[in-house]
Amino acid sequence: MAASNIDPAIFEQLQAKIDEEGRIKDELKDIIQQLEKQGRVTQSILSRIHNTPTGQLGPAVFQPCERSILTQIHLVKVLSDIASKHPFYKWNNLWTREMQNLIFCLQLRHWLAHQELETIEQVGNELGVPINVKDRDIFHLTIEEYLLALTNTIDELTRLAPNAVTLGDFSRPLQISKFIKDIHAGFQLLNLKNDTLRRRSDGIKYAVKKVEDVVYDLSLRGLLPKQRSSDDTPAEAKGGAGAPASDMDSDVFLEG
Amino acid sequence: MQMAGMKRSRDGPKPQGRADWDSPYIPMFENFRAELDEHHDRREKIIKASRDITASSKKIIFALQRVRNLGEKIPPPLIKSKEYSQHTSTIHERFVSVAPDLKGINAYRYQRQISPGIQEFMEAVLFRHYLETQSILSPSESAKLISENVLLTEDDYVLGLFDMTGELMRYAITQMATNGELPASRTGGRGNILTGLQDLRTKLEALDVSGSYGLSKNAEQKMSTTRTSVEKVENAVYSMTVRGKERPKGWNPGMDTSRPVGEVEG
Repeated sequence: MAASNIDPAIFEQLQAKIDEEGRIKDELKDIIQQLEKQGRVTQSILSRIHNTPTGQLGPAVFQPCERSILTQIHLVKVLSDIASKHPFYKWNNLWTREMQNLIFCLQLRHWLAHQELETIEQVGNELGVPINVKDRDIFHLTIEEYLLALTNTIDELTRLAPNAVTLGDFSRPLQISKFIKDIHAGFQLLNLKNDTLRRRSDGIKYAVKKVEDVVYDLSLRGLLPKQRSSDDTPAEAKGGAGAPASDMDSDVFLEG
Repeated sequence: MQMAGMKRSRDGPKPQGRADWDSPYIPMFENFRAELDEHHDRREKIIKASRDITASSKKIIFALQRVRNLGEKIPPPLIKSKEYSQHTSTIHERFVSVAPDLKGINAYRYQRQISPGIQEFMEAVLFRHYLETQSILSPSESAKLISENVLLTEDDYVLGLFDMTGELMRYAITQMATNGELPASRTGGRGNILTGLQDLRTKLEALDVSGSYGLSKNAEQKMSTTRTSVEKVENAVYSMTVRGKERPKGWNPGMDTSRPVGEVEG
């Protein structure tokens, strides 16, 4: 080959850097795959809520998914240790979906148990991971991940509203409706750009409507359990299940 | 959000109007809004800077295309010309202005936004360096030309290098058209631009980019452009070698496919 003045060392160094990057990616992917696998286990247990009566959630859902979630939390710790050695946002897209799924599972479980939102701080504590870190380059949960997970939680609760009715729990749709409306009001405060979060949050209004329709159907037939007071959260939702006719706002009662 | 469906149940369980119903999550979402607004503002600022850097880098490349002698310092009148110096300082200002936004953890958070500007700037930097020295400026030396705190990734360097081969092609073709000879250093020691391009192509082809997320997506398409560029110069040099002596000075090798030979004027 004719003389050229191009330093081969430049390309050797580039190749070394690229190969190193490939090794980091493989190492991260390995642990993320384990997280994904365990995440499927957790999600499949949680999906039992759609055919489990409210009173049996403990033995049928909460207890079985506990161990799977603990395994995931352990895997997050492993991931966090590896990932914190590298620039967070360089690799974040590799695991963001899995973290969203896990946050979703925690939010859903928390709501089922307490009928309230698990805050980002609570999620962070439960996972043992810092949140929204801006001053250090370490593994953490991002606000976007938390909010995207929340849109999943809303979708899942929207699906639960009619299924709960089928299983005889007529108070669930009311609880879900209030929760989704509260979350919807929150999302409306955000100035979202044309991104994934925007698209996902646009769907919340349909969730609001869908659950409203379930509540309306119940109300029309006088099937809603009697309202005690607005902040009297029926933590023992079993009590509301299959509420008797005497317990109805019955001026629109049509058919039981 | 007004929705007719929400109004139907007049005995609805909860008040419907915004005024008599407060979501308990409002304060939480106000915090999120503040964080997201900060993020979006910074992101947009960086996108704007990146666009300015791209535009000014293109102007500089354009000016460099007019350089006559390969392997020599760029003539001071060109460097000092208002056009050139103005764009150099625009680039510098923009890099300095976004450097604080690209510190620490934010270097990669906004990498995708600043990346187009850096790639175009690399193209200009590498092009100038090649014209002056007929060699490739290393990544570490290139990084020094960007503001401190602004990260030069291997991806942006390599993608800038790919694009630079296109500029070398244009430069070579234009020079052959105007001078009737292939650009080479006047001392001759470092070979000519064709051997440079061919060597560069070989080295880029040899790079295994599968480990890099950014490169594995873009490199194949860039490589095929680079191949085309090198082959254009090879064909032009071939034409000049075979028929060059019959051609008057100033003959453009790009013309020979579209025009009958007899029409070409010197």
